[in-house]
Amino acid sequence: MSLIALRHALGGFWESDLAYRFRRSPVAILAALVGLALLVAAMGAPVLAPYDAFDPAAANAADARLPPASEGMFGDYYTLGTDPQGRDMLSAMLYGLRTSLVVGLASVAAAALAGVLLGLMAGYFGGVLDAFIMRAADVQLSFPAILIALLIDGVARTAMPAALHAELAVPILIAAIAASFWVQYARTVRGLVLVERGRDYVLAAKVTGVSTPRILLSHILPNVLGPVLVIATINLALAILTESTLSFLGVGLPSTQPSLGSLVRIGNEFVFSGDWWISALPGLLLVLLSLSVNIFGDWLRDALNPKLAS
Amino acid sequence: MSALLKVEGLRVEIARRGRVMTAIDDVSFEIAAGEILGVVGESGAGKSVTGTAVLGLLERPAFQAAGRILFDGRRIDTLDEDAMRALRGREIAAVFQDPLTSLDPLMTIGDQLTETIRTHLDLTQAEAVERAARLLAEVGIPAPRERLASYPHEMSGGMRQRVVLALAFSCEPRLIIADEPTTALDVSIQAQILDLLRAMCRERGTAVMLVTHDMGVIAEVADRVAVMYAGRLVEVGPTQSLLAEAAHPYTRGLMGSIPDMHRRDVELAQIPGSMPRPDAPVPGCAFHPRCGQALPRCAVERPLTFTAGASEVACWLADPAARSAA
Amino acid sequence: MNGVKDTILSVDRLTVRFDASPPLLKRLVTGAGRRTVHAVEEVEFEVARGSTFALVGESGCGKSTIARAIAGIQRPSGGSVSFMGVDIAGFRTRHAAMPYRRNLQMIFQDPYASLNPRWRVGRIIAEPILTHGLMTRGAALTARVAELLETVGLSPGDTAKFPHQFSGGQRQRISIARALAANPAFVVCDEPTSALDVSVQAQILNLMRRLQRERGLTYLLISHNLAVVAHMADDMGVMYLGRLVEQGDAGQILGRPLHPYTRLLLDTVPDPRAPKRDRARLAGEVPSPLAPPTGCAFHPRCPLANARCARERPLPIRVEAALVACHAVEEGRLPSRPPAAQQSFATSGDAA
Repeated sequence: MSLIALRHALGGFWESDLAYRFRRSPVAILAALVGLALLVAAMGAPVLAPYDAFDPAAANAADARLPPASEGMFGDYYTLGTDPQGRDMLSAMLYGLRTSLVVGLASVAAAALAGVLLGLMAGYFGGVLDAFIMRAADVQLSFPAILIALLIDGVARTAMPAALHAELAVPILIAAIAASFWVQYARTVRGLVLVERGRDYVLAAKVTGVSTPRILLSHILPNVLGPVLVIATINLALAILTESTLSFLGVGLPSTQPSLGSLVRIGNEFVFSGDWWISALPGLLLVLLSLSVNIFGDWLRDALNPKLAS
Repeated sequence: MSALLKVEGLRVEIARRGRVMTAIDDVSFEIAAGEILGVVGESGAGKSVTGTAVLGLLERPAFQAAGRILFDGRRIDTLDEDAMRALRGREIAAVFQDPLTSLDPLMTIGDQLTETIRTHLDLTQAEAVERAARLLAEVGIPAPRERLASYPHEMSGGMRQRVVLALAFSCEPRLIIADEPTTALDVSIQAQILDLLRAMCRERGTAVMLVTHDMGVIAEVADRVAVMYAGRLVEVGPTQSLLAEAAHPYTRGLMGSIPDMHRRDVELAQIPGSMPRPDAPVPGCAFHPRCGQALPRCAVERPLTFTAGASEVACWLADPAARSAA
Repeated sequence: MNGVKDTILSVDRLTVRFDASPPLLKRLVTGAGRRTVHAVEEVEFEVARGSTFALVGESGCGKSTIARAIAGIQRPSGGSVSFMGVDIAGFRTRHAAMPYRRNLQMIFQDPYASLNPRWRVGRIIAEPILTHGLMTRGAALTARVAELLETVGLSPGDTAKFPHQFSGGQRQRISIARALAANPAFVVCDEPTSALDVSVQAQILNLMRRLQRERGLTYLLISHNLAVVAHMADDMGVMYLGRLVEQGDAGQILGRPLHPYTRLLLDTVPDPRAPKRDRARLAGEVPSPLAPPTGCAFHPRCPLANARCARERPLPIRVEAALVACHAVEEGRLPSRPPAAQQSFATSGDAA
């Protein structure tokens, strides 16, 4: 698409301050391009991957632990080598990237949804509801996020049959990560709502007789979303890393469902036998992903901060 | 007349997004020692930017693009940051609209006063404290010695603005730039602060550049008035005659739009439209699209400055050649 | 002025107090007591249909709190507000209050805060119409919004723009269009022009007066600017520390003020048409509403105060077309005013 056409498609947004700053920041553009490329690669995994990483039949035990750029027993070519089960590393990484991104995006979305709603109510209604929500948040903050995720996963594991748990592994993981991240949204939104609810446009809506849910959702919510977007972006990298850490610790996803974290764990046993690629390549991809998301998030935070605007 | 402050052809530009806009365009004026010059205009007219430029406090993206600023015959717009800082507070002091921006919330009133005094004057701590207490007494703060230990948040808005005045006068400056010093205050407190400012200046012969949007404030304290519009000076003259008989159509429109306490039930005079923004400058006279008396040349030629009565007016209507032709 | 007035709003012993106590834990630790801000104390006035009633006073005198109580966004601690014959405190549900809310709208001071920055102008103006179910979305609503924009001097093409694309004066016009959208009878104007430049203020004041003439609107005008009040008001009330000290016909109060506070306030206003005149000064500052003075709240600053003023709160007495709460007026201790004011005293006295 030509630049002119892009410009036309974006309409007013192209002229906005945010778009202007973005165009002037090579770092942000690079980070966004890398992140976008990874997203496309992950979502296109079933098409792009040479082999199906979820299909045990596609793995050939005889081709286990082959280094990058080698040929398998039956003429298969492995660009990035194979893992201990003989799976193609490139395919496994693409599917792993997809799992990591899905878990990351879904858990951030769930955390943001819960946190924003709780924050809106706490900030707008105040009183007992506010005290209850914010004390719950305080309690939650006194635990490390990973511990809460571990706890939820542990409870789910003991409460469910193993087969069911394996089936529900992804939703459970998403819930576990979301549960440890909602606090930040709730606190931020509450603080913003405390300011917004006293502003004249909210009072004007009250004078007119607009209902409280409408005031909250169509007046106040759009005005507190900017900072939420920034937190969500920065949290995305954190959520992906949390998923990887959990998977690395073996409490995340089963090894039949590769994620970047579980790939690193699998390779971890073989690092000292010289098979570096099984751990290092998914690890590098993880770094690239979280770095691009983080850099973009940092830029977004600065760009939306009026105090830093020149 | 030897001017204390002389601004010649000042031009301030703002570079934003690779475009250059003109905030102040060819502004020249003088302030004599001990004189109070009121600079009046509506928001966006460039009056605050002018004050900021004189103080040498322009910050990116605004910068001085042309002109000279002379203080006591010495050029100050080319001074480096250190020399300017030494001048500021000592010879030229500033009073801003919000006293909280001038006062450090974490320092006592006394510490702020003595710090400023000792930065600029060669005094011992005890002498500085003595001077600070005397200043507070002079600006009408009861129990000044006790008040030295107070923090700004422990005082009312009016009291804080009094402290800001004490701070401004602490080193006996010769010029004070006061930017909307009473706008945040109630009328009764505003009157007290204006009285104080006028009395202290008269006593010490301090000159003031009083930036305000309020013609009432001008009427109270200013000796001369400079009216700004769209970054330009449109009229300068003695307060009494300018308020009674403005020469520039904009000044007349401005006066007409002020509700009169003593004449009710009359439609207020209205200036149609709004002031051009710096990113959409108007050719010729900046006021011509809103002016009821605009001549054809007003749309193309920027007016020169003419003498009309006691005032200097930048308006073709005041051109003696045009008047004699008519 | 003595004919039977068609009263649209009547405020009876309205009192608003705020709890400004430190948190419970701090009160227990430091032994500090509860503290109450006396924002509005027993205020009474009536507004006639089609007129403008102005409340003036310095910041913190409670005038904006009264506006909010009348607009239904501040619950009174005591007294009542009756609008078109109905006590507004009696509404139990949002639904029951809807007819009153349709008839009473508000214009705010800060044109930058009173419009939702994320909403387009068309949506902002349509909101009261849709909220009250006066119209449904469609061509008729679009036409109505366009008509409202033209009424306030904007272009129908502005509906698709966002508030930040307008100047302060234009935004205040949008606020007025929103306030008119549901065809209200009464508009509360809380400092509608104090954030605007004088030339823009003139445009807005002229617009407000034109709309009042054309639509028979009633205004409650809250302002600290006496010149604006002089220009707009039929009746006015002067507030000091939560109480009305003088109220009545605006012409009489401005021309022949009786209460010492009103007199000093009028003297204090700088007038560009009378530069550097000699005038009396209002000394001192407004006391804290946390601990209002005993007796008459104005007595610590009043040049005429005596022992009775410090002890006993003055009750309003009628002097021609005004009600004044002052012992000095009651006892006839009031000095005559300086020549300029004296003259208008004489003329209005003759007329009365």
